[in-house]
Amino acid sequence: MSIVEKYKKYRKAGYFDKFDYHWGMTIDLDRCTGCEACVVACTAENNLPIVGEENYRLKREIKWLRIERYWDGDYPDAKLNFIPILCQQCDQAPCETPCPVGATYHNQDGLNTQIYNRCIGTRTCAVYCPYEVRYFNWFTYKWDAPLEQQLNPDVSVREKGVMEKCTFCIQRIRDAKDTAKDEDRRRVRDGEVKPACVQSCATEALVFGDLNDPDAKVSKLYKDKRGYKVLEELNTAPSVVYLKKVKAHV
Amino acid sequence: MSDINRRDFLKFVGAGGVGAGAGFYLADASKKTVEYLIPQVVPPEDYVPGVASWYNTVCTQCDAACGISVRTKEGRAKKIEGNANHPVNQGGLCARGQAGLNALYNPDRVRTPLLLEGGRYREISWDRALTELGRRISSLRIQNQIDKVSVLSNTQSGHIGELLDRFIQLLGTDHYAQYSVTAPHAIQEANRISFGEPTLPYYDIANADVVVSFGADYLGTWLSPVHYSKAYGKLRQGRDHRGTTVQFESRMSLTGANADEWHAPNPGSEGLLAMAMANVVSRSSAVADAGAWSQSLSAYAPSRVAEQIGIDADKIEAVANAFASGNGLALAGGSALAGTNGVAVQVAVNVLNYLGGAIGREGGVIFNSDGPASKAASFAQLTEFAQQLGDRGTEVLMLLDANPVYDLPQSAGFSAAIENVPFVVSVNSFLDESSAMADLVLPLDTYLEAWSDASPNPGVGFSVSSIAQPVVQRVFDTKSLGDIVLGLSAQIGSELPIELPWTSAEEYLRGVWLDNYLAAEPGGNEKSFETFWRSVLSAGVVGQRPASVGGANVSLNSSATSGMDFGVGDFSGSESERPFVFQPYESVMMGVGRTANSPWLQETPDPLTSIVYGSWVELNPATAKELGIREGDLLEVASDSGTLTAPAFLYPGIRPDVIAMPMGQGHTEYGRYAKDRGVSPTRILSDLTDSRTGALATAATRVSISKTGERHGLIKNDGITRTLGRQILGPHSGGH
Amino acid sequence: MSEATYQEPRWDEVNRDVLATMLNTGPRYWWLLGISITVALVCFFGPWAYQLYVGVGAAGMNRSAVWGTYLSNFIFWIGLSHSGTLLSAVLHITQSDWRKAIYRSAEAMTLFSLMTAAFFVMVHVGRVWFVHWSAPIPNEMDLWPNFRSPLMFDVMAITTYLTASSIFIYMGSVPDFAAVRDASTGMRRRLYTIFSFGWRGTAKEWHTLGWAYTFFAVFVIPLAVSVHSIVSWDFAMSIVPGLHHTIFAPYFVCGAIYSGTAGIVTVMFIIRKYLNFERYIREIHLDNLGKLLVVLSLIWTYINIMEVFTTWYGGSSFEMEALKWRLTGFYAPLYWEMILFCAAVPLLMLSKKIRCNWKYMLIISILINIGMLTERFIIVATSLPRKFLPDSYGFYFPSGVEISITIGSFAIFTTLFLIFVKWVPSVSIYEVKETLKPLKRGSVEARS
Ligand SMILES: Nc1nc2c(c(=O)[nH]1)N[C@H]1C(S)=C(S)[C@@H](COP(=O)(O)OP(=O)(O)OC[C@H]3O[C@@H](n4cnc5c(=O)[nH]c(N)nc54)[C@H](O)[C@@H]3O)O[C@H]1N2
Ligand SMILES: Nc1nc2c(c(=O)[nH]1)N[C@H]1C(S)=C(S)[C@@H](COP(=O)(O)OP(=O)(O)OC[C@H]3O[C@@H](n4cnc5c(=O)[nH]c(N)nc54)[C@H](O)[C@@H]3O)O[C@H]1N2
Ligand code: SF4
Ligand code: SF4
Ligand code: SF4
Ligand code: SF4
Ligand code: SF4
Repeated sequence: MSIVEKYKKYRKAGYFDKFDYHWGMTIDLDRCTGCEACVVACTAENNLPIVGEENYRLKREIKWLRIERYWDGDYPDAKLNFIPILCQQCDQAPCETPCPVGATYHNQDGLNTQIYNRCIGTRTCAVYCPYEVRYFNWFTYKWDAPLEQQLNPDVSVREKGVMEKCTFCIQRIRDAKDTAKDEDRRRVRDGEVKPACVQSCATEALVFGDLNDPDAKVSKLYKDKRGYKVLEELNTAPSVVYLKKVKAHV
Repeated sequence: MSDINRRDFLKFVGAGGVGAGAGFYLADASKKTVEYLIPQVVPPEDYVPGVASWYNTVCTQCDAACGISVRTKEGRAKKIEGNANHPVNQGGLCARGQAGLNALYNPDRVRTPLLLEGGRYREISWDRALTELGRRISSLRIQNQIDKVSVLSNTQSGHIGELLDRFIQLLGTDHYAQYSVTAPHAIQEANRISFGEPTLPYYDIANADVVVSFGADYLGTWLSPVHYSKAYGKLRQGRDHRGTTVQFESRMSLTGANADEWHAPNPGSEGLLAMAMANVVSRSSAVADAGAWSQSLSAYAPSRVAEQIGIDADKIEAVANAFASGNGLALAGGSALAGTNGVAVQVAVNVLNYLGGAIGREGGVIFNSDGPASKAASFAQLTEFAQQLGDRGTEVLMLLDANPVYDLPQSAGFSAAIENVPFVVSVNSFLDESSAMADLVLPLDTYLEAWSDASPNPGVGFSVSSIAQPVVQRVFDTKSLGDIVLGLSAQIGSELPIELPWTSAEEYLRGVWLDNYLAAEPGGNEKSFETFWRSVLSAGVVGQRPASVGGANVSLNSSATSGMDFGVGDFSGSESERPFVFQPYESVMMGVGRTANSPWLQETPDPLTSIVYGSWVELNPATAKELGIREGDLLEVASDSGTLTAPAFLYPGIRPDVIAMPMGQGHTEYGRYAKDRGVSPTRILSDLTDSRTGALATAATRVSISKTGERHGLIKNDGITRTLGRQILGPHSGGH
Repeated sequence: MSEATYQEPRWDEVNRDVLATMLNTGPRYWWLLGISITVALVCFFGPWAYQLYVGVGAAGMNRSAVWGTYLSNFIFWIGLSHSGTLLSAVLHITQSDWRKAIYRSAEAMTLFSLMTAAFFVMVHVGRVWFVHWSAPIPNEMDLWPNFRSPLMFDVMAITTYLTASSIFIYMGSVPDFAAVRDASTGMRRRLYTIFSFGWRGTAKEWHTLGWAYTFFAVFVIPLAVSVHSIVSWDFAMSIVPGLHHTIFAPYFVCGAIYSGTAGIVTVMFIIRKYLNFERYIREIHLDNLGKLLVVLSLIWTYINIMEVFTTWYGGSSFEMEALKWRLTGFYAPLYWEMILFCAAVPLLMLSKKIRCNWKYMLIISILINIGMLTERFIIVATSLPRKFLPDSYGFYFPSGVEISITIGSFAIFTTLFLIFVKWVPSVSIYEVKETLKPLKRGSVEARS
């Protein structure tokens, strides 16, 4: 097939509507306590490097998921708010267009993927991402033996010069799809895929699932009246919906 | 079932779990993981490369004993997840629980027994290590000097704990103590005084309407944080009407940050505050003796004590009325129980719960009845223990997974006392501060390599037990505590090997479970036990939900409050010279120091400050402004017992007259990730104790602060922690 | 030499003077070349090698500030490359004779700035060993670059511009190469025989050259404009506050020409002084360039005012915050330095006395380029660390490696230029002659 043919096929009208799945997440800020368990879970699952004290000081930490803190008011009426920020898997992802080598692109499941092997490290995607969820490998990080025995064999370890970010735990999605296929099911069941952060969260603030499935828990929560998207005004069409914290008094 | 004693519980597990067929956890879970029954001690021949196997076991990163499922591949542990069938954590897992793999694969683990020879550690064999130790102990024993063998252990629960107790008993020494820095002495003592139940009850947060916490950081560090977080999620959005939470504490904890209302009473006045609320609640209370209580609480009307508490009387009334009108639940912990009046505060909270009708009610305080009484020694007892080391001329000191040199303030006197003991043995996975002083170090398995069992304490309102199994082969040449005890008793000889005939902890554990099973299951035999045992291993937990809520018959002792001091308690240091109350708190990541050697946790931001890698001193921005302190200024914090230096962090959620610091850092040993990082606030604590339990009063030290003139940039994640008017937290979320 | 006593050079003197710069090489040249190469090696290639070994973390960049001086320097050098070829082409088409003495070195500047800029691309990316993936090179993986990426446009635009500029400068040099050939012997003669494509100076050859040269001049102008527009899109196509401005393309083009023109003044000064071109590079050049600089400065100032105005008028909280930080934050002194050097100081050139003074003009031209270097730095360093989520706000300060590499890049440029002056006549011999008095037929000079 010539390039032109391939290109035409790719651009065929409706290509983007024919997503098999549309993975999405809801984050209930009224449940989330900011405990950071999900952050460590993601670190463990996705082979996030230990960057070390000096690199952390220089703000070179790598945390695909982080909890942001926002204070309201001052003592004695100070109020602290937490908001977990991970890749929003934007359907109109600003990070995808500028990558010169196409190392980050949208896949059929509505995911913003990151191909480590292809990335040449221009960091443009990180500049373009308004959510600051792209993390760069400033160095090749090492695990002091035998810590490397923990590394998840389902996830690549990244080298210096490569960009990385939350993948919605794509290895787990793939695993569930394989299982579905083995069991002659056309689709993955609701709740069958649990990203590491979702699994860990004790307050069940995080819900993950297929937005194309109207009966999925996530699809229902997506429509909750407390729902909103962070920086929606930028028109990035995020796949993550936040449920606003409820303000109450006794 | 509620009157079953926990010690007897395992006998009933057979009846409940298998016989009656009502073992709900068993039934649910055995379907799921039945194919992965074999522990990884011997790598099974049937493991398939590239296919993950899951093993259920128990987390011991803190005392909550959550159930975990460990994903292994090719014989290596890859990921820890919460066991969805376990009633404590119901699938959830905290940051520390996630980081268990850092303990297992820690590069700084003790890899083989070490013997101090000529000032240096030499690697020796287990045979030699146990022979050497056994020889010393048995010679003392033969000389009738067994009281010169001292044993200090971290608290050991379950049957391995019993094995240890039995071993010590057979050994014959009476110088034996167990301790835990976080042991809830005040709660247990106050519950004994109030209800005649010296145990930890089940706090049903999920079903409460108004949760009022006096310093208890139930979402971060208090007792069983994952369980309470589960409950919290349900309280907020998992049921028909959203529950509200109120937090009273001098320094905003993680729970305080999430509370609908956060108020900072005067340090130490929490008991008074609870009494004031009880006063309000008593007016409308439905309990039988409400009238009498109303009388005796009359001195505590909010209007009379508000000034001492530092919170408006109206506010106290409002919270108390909300507490009384909904399903109110009051909790106490943290600094509120860490004064010299901790027991009094908990008693006051008990009164409040009682008058609010929370005792024995769904959404209230449910006594387990089978909760174990605490075995943990208090600070006063530990000081005495250290003293005794010299007094009785201890020849052999055994430290079992215990690090008193780091855990306790200087005033306990451990480092000096250990120094003078001729032969110190430390059984530990790491070379911590105490182990580094030992003559013999016996490397301990991590919890992911050892056999044990556990029942969560606090329980979950009904009886639950888990078997902890190895999920991987040992990474290094280590042994479990049970195996070491058995190995040692074989070396010591005499009647010990006869009394403790097992060759391994696994064999012992199976034996006990078999005995209990046969005793409880009339028709049982070894074959049916095998099925039972495998299903417990597979499910990771066994237990039975009772038909009704237990403990409803507990009533408040009418003289519970007599003789209690509901004042603010005593503080060390004069207010003029030392203007700030010093409140060290348990860190969400580091706990009280055990997890400081985890690189993941060192790199995980503290939930409230986002600080990583180090210690900091929290002070109110107004205080800082007054003293000309900026973030990152290195401060000297001085108490009457010592000084420390740490960088300042301006924290909006703290009283202007309180200084707080996280515990857990400041190790001088304990491996590359923990060593020489930050400072431990414990160092400068006075030796004031709770007047009733002898527990260290960690919130009773006054300090002064001064700038050293140096700066020490904090390493943290946060940029600007104001939204600058952006609607990040939702439409119309305001803020700036 | 004062204008009053100015004596127009004779044709033979032109050949002699220009070729002397190539053929006579004193120790001063070798020293300069030696130092320049050393500085390039020590300050640029050494630290770069270190960075290649450890990773881009050797630089001071971090999360949120993922771009730093490497990128701002890249833009600076691309900017400096403007004017050279562009100016030369524009002036050629408008038949401005004063261009003829200066265009060769100006075009060389274009070439070498572009090359230096290309170095910064290499230094900037995380995995330079795969940088060729950003070019549409057929490969067995059948993977192509992302044609929507402004970086991809960059690669295309810069390569095209570099190629076109090279051809343009080479073509204009062919008759001069022939002159070198004719004036030299031995190896050099053989080499320049090849370089000059056997140029003999026939009427047909002159005609073809004139036609082709004009064609390229026309071709290069939109190219030059497009290059910096596209470079500006690296920024403007993002939605980053402070970068997402439609005005960026003209802003960058204007800034590029501005800094390039200032660069020409600086280079002209040096060539004139050290290669003894006083008789060829004269006040008229300075005067004209000075006027041009004033105009460019005014346009540049206008755009800057517009940038602030539209931000204020738009009133978006993100943009306002970015602007506030740029004008009053940590790097505000740099911002105001830039305004001083690029908007205020150049107004001095309204005075003819200053405009025609070599020393003043040298200083002003250098100040302008310092201002422009700063401008690029500010754009990067004040926007990226403060985007949308305040909790992720960061800060960026260049590391030693970055500063060293920045210094080293000037040495690379200088080295290339020093090599150039020995290989190519840095003043166009034949075109300068075109501006002189016509020759009398049969005179001695006519044979040169
Ligand atoms: N010493 C030695 N050398 C050999 C051989 C040997 O037996 N011994 N065998 C030879 C033979 S027969 C062969 S076939 C070659 C094999 O040589 P390679 O092709 O190099 O084989 P691997 O190392 O198995 O896999 C290459 C990489 O692919 C990654 N990978 C796995 N799955 C994916 C995926 O889905 N996508 C992408 N992009 N990457 C993935 C892996 O992590 C690994 O880093 O080696 C040859 N060389
Ligand atoms: N876990 C795991 N499994 C893999 C792979 C992996 O990466 N990981 N890689 C896969 C790949 S890519 C490959 S190619 C296969 C290779 O798998 P195999 O084809 O099984 O390769 P070898 O292990 O090299 O075994 C070949 C046998 O041929 C014998 N032999 C050597 N020379 C000769 C000869 O001249 N004649 C005969 N008759 N026998 C000879 C050798 O002694 C050996 O017993 O493994 C696959 N399986
Ligand atoms: S684990 Fe859950 S509650 Fe904790 S920070 Fe993450 S999302 Fe929030
Ligand atoms: S959040 Fe950022 S990285 Fe993720 S898809 Fe959106 S723009 Fe890309
Ligand atoms: S850093 Fe990698 S993924 Fe991002 S734009 Fe550059 S090449 Fe693409
Ligand atoms: S979805 Fe997976 S990759 Fe993304 S933040 Fe959660 S754990 Fe990390
Ligand atoms: S609360 Fe956390 S550390 Fe404690 S047992 Fe549960 S998972 Fe482990």
